[in-house]
Amino acid sequence: MKSFRSSMIPLALRIVLGAIFIYAAIPKIADPVTFAGSVAAYRILPYFWSYVTAAVLPFLELTCGVLLILGVRVRSGALIIGALNVVFMAALSAAMIRGLDIDCGCFRPDGPKTAPWVALLRDVFFLAMTAAVLRYERLRAR
Amino acid sequence: MAQKSWLKTSLEIAVIVLASALFGIAWNRTLLADAWRGAPAGQAAPVPQQAAPGSQQAEALPMPIALAQVKELHDSGQAVLVDARSAASFAKEHIAGARSLPLEEATRQATPQLKGVAKDAVIIAYCNGFSCHDSMDLGKLLIKAGYASVYVFEGGLPEWRDGGYPTSGGKQ
Repeated sequence: MKSFRSSMIPLALRIVLGAIFIYAAIPKIADPVTFAGSVAAYRILPYFWSYVTAAVLPFLELTCGVLLILGVRVRSGALIIGALNVVFMAALSAAMIRGLDIDCGCFRPDGPKTAPWVALLRDVFFLAMTAAVLRYERLRAR
Repeated sequence: MAQKSWLKTSLEIAVIVLASALFGIAWNRTLLADAWRGAPAGQAAPVPQQAAPGSQQAEALPMPIALAQVKELHDSGQAVLVDARSAASFAKEHIAGARSLPLEEATRQATPQLKGVAKDAVIIAYCNGFSCHDSMDLGKLLIKAGYASVYVFEGGLPEWRDGGYPTSGGKQ
């Protein structure tokens, strides 16, 4: 029973984290213009680079999500997701410090507005999940 | 052994990032080319001037435009700047050369018209910056009214003013 539980928790974590990133990627791929607007609202990147980010980031999220769900190259996929979370948290913190009243643009770009501090807490949770996935992956590889 | 494993992981990460980037750029090549040129063609789809009643159509969104491009179009006289704020706010201060079309008034008109502005003219809607959504809503209404090249300057009057660019304070 214990070994069943210990094997199911890492699997569930991996699948849930992968599904979250696929869920986040699809609306952005479907509507890159709106997502570019969300990126531009952070006022971090120059005009054209907001579009490049909107073009590339959702595909990176999608690829990593699929890898986690399939259990292929889990360590690499999880490390990229972790790095993305750190970048998101830095951008959200910058928005909060500058007092920008913007939508985080994390999931549906045209969806209900999510305050930066809520998104920041959510990213902390995702980062903890990523750390757990990496830890389980390291134990499994031994 | 551990060094070899990290090397392998780093290589995998590089391949994943590169493949995703190439795929994303290829997938969005038209949008990126439009953004590079600063052209409005990256908009979702040209909206016919009058949609059939009851027809279901994906809402076309105005394209965001940055301060540098707004300044360039403003200086060359290639764009019409439209202020979506209230008439009182417009009277107080607005981007030099802009014309006023408060969102409230545009909503009342349903399909707002800008006198003397051609339907293919470049229109830039703005309001009070990133926290203000009136310019985006006005942009949507203008697209619905048949204007083909509508942008939204999300930084609005605050970003324009911070850039040290000219504003006017008199009534127009």
